[in-house]
Amino acid sequence: MGAIRGAGSAGPPETRGAGSAGPQRVMDPELQNLQDSSAFASEVSEGRLVTEEMLLNVGPQHPATHGVFRLLATIDGERIVRAEPVVGYMHRGYEKLVEQRDYRQITNLISRMDWLSGINNELPLALALEELMEIEVPPRAQYLRVALAEMNRILNHLMFFQSFSAELGAITPTFYAFREREDIQYAMESVTGGRMHFGYFRPGGLKEDVPKGFIAMALAAVRKVIQRLPDYEDLLTGNEIFKQRTINVGVLDKEVAYSYGVSGPIGRGSSIDMDVRRDEPYLVYDQFDFEVCNGTHGDCFDRFWVLLHEVVESAKIVEQALAGLPPGPIMGKVPRVVEAPKGEVYVRTENPLGELGFYLVSDGGRRPYRIKIRTPSFSNVSALPHALQNTLVADMIAILGSFFFVLGDVDR
Amino acid sequence: MRLEADDALDRVKGALGERVTDAHLNHGQVDVTVEPANLVEVLTILRDDIALGCRFFTFLSAVDRSTFNFDDDNEQGGLEVLVHLYSPEKIWHVNLHVPLDFDTPVCPSITGVFKGAEWHERETAEMFGIHFTDHPNLVTLYLSEDFEGHPMLKSFKLPARSYVKDWPGAKDPDEAAAGGR
Repeated sequence: MGAIRGAGSAGPPETRGAGSAGPQRVMDPELQNLQDSSAFASEVSEGRLVTEEMLLNVGPQHPATHGVFRLLATIDGERIVRAEPVVGYMHRGYEKLVEQRDYRQITNLISRMDWLSGINNELPLALALEELMEIEVPPRAQYLRVALAEMNRILNHLMFFQSFSAELGAITPTFYAFREREDIQYAMESVTGGRMHFGYFRPGGLKEDVPKGFIAMALAAVRKVIQRLPDYEDLLTGNEIFKQRTINVGVLDKEVAYSYGVSGPIGRGSSIDMDVRRDEPYLVYDQFDFEVCNGTHGDCFDRFWVLLHEVVESAKIVEQALAGLPPGPIMGKVPRVVEAPKGEVYVRTENPLGELGFYLVSDGGRRPYRIKIRTPSFSNVSALPHALQNTLVADMIAILGSFFFVLGDVDR
Repeated sequence: MRLEADDALDRVKGALGERVTDAHLNHGQVDVTVEPANLVEVLTILRDDIALGCRFFTFLSAVDRSTFNFDDDNEQGGLEVLVHLYSPEKIWHVNLHVPLDFDTPVCPSITGVFKGAEWHERETAEMFGIHFTDHPNLVTLYLSEDFEGHPMLKSFKLPARSYVKDWPGAKDPDEAAAGGR
């Protein structure tokens, strides 16, 4: 054993010491020809030099996959020929579980779908029930719902800012993003007691009113975000390495995005000008000034740009909602037992990652007959193979990161 | 240019004509009923007709209505495929209901019209036991390959809710008020 290792490291004597007078080994003239770059290129282009495809398995446990997600990539050298996402490692069967529970229990269950935007997940169910039961929600509850939903959007997008830049090798944004997140998180915690899963929206209103001092605390937190975010943008968008790694990388075509139902910031990055908050305003979104951010090329940089700029727009909405918060009750007239009348309705909201829709079928009972949950990440991830095709292995992490999906939302 | 729901319904009726068996409004969205044989043609018209413009594929799923509590006791529900489309420019929604034969549910695949339906159909196939003809790769999405049964059918009972003892406390506020724990 030791003798073999020793022989290997020393190497055969005739290959070393080319300058000595001893015996020399000369390169095969055919190989020397190949070193001529033009000859080598023609070998590849004319197909005389055959390369072999290789199957690369990424995940299910990989730091870049935000959960348990597996990607089967067929690679040819450094190029990804095909990529096939494999999902289902976190399938919990929410659509079946909700059929066995009454509506109050479901609110807390569905909060766990997309764990980065807990309070946004609760919204469409409350809206669907209010639509079927014809409940009027008092204005104070609507304003608070908007404020909290947008605060959760800021939390989600700052998490993207952190994870995406960390995946591209920049460490500093992590500390800045978590500093801002903590202030907002603290304000939300004072309202609900939770940090991820809030269980705060009820059909007809809210669980309880916000505590004293919340408005000042939340306003201070979002104003800090508005003030500091331009600096964070400069940190990355002016960085040459960041630009090289994201511009024109992982382009998702607009027509492909339409046919896959890609929505939210990922869709807007591909210039799908669509935002439920503006197009079909729910709650009181029509009373606030905000802009919808749209990309132009559909590459990683556009998706990053859209997600980052939405933080400021969300912060502006929070500011307006809390500054104009009307007094009054926080709960509408809701029967003690929530029973939706017979009927079906599709209600959708703008979740941080895209369009979250609930198709609720009720047969008049305390439990829903069927709820189809249309989650944004599911549709977004199904379009991944198109963005990954013909890219380089080194760009894979940037593309996966820029799609920003949450696996709990894909698998449900 | 926003399309009001009433106008959308008129345009759908005009463009689809005899291809749909029923078209009405439900909570501001157009609901149409389509036979499986006409599904692909109807979706192509909805997508390509410039006056309709339903280019955004929202979801495909199914509903098992076999235990639905109908007002009329004689009415018996079956299995239907549900497709939702949306027009981003004209801002209107359409829900397509495709009734299927309950014992041998077969539906044409719509992946030729909307590529993104591939995963949705794979999920619906394993959850409801619906076969989508001409699907490029109809394998399971979430479940393991040796999983028996179709979990989203009403006949599939959750073991945790059917075999174990009842929860000892009151489940509803009414029961609690009536003396339950």
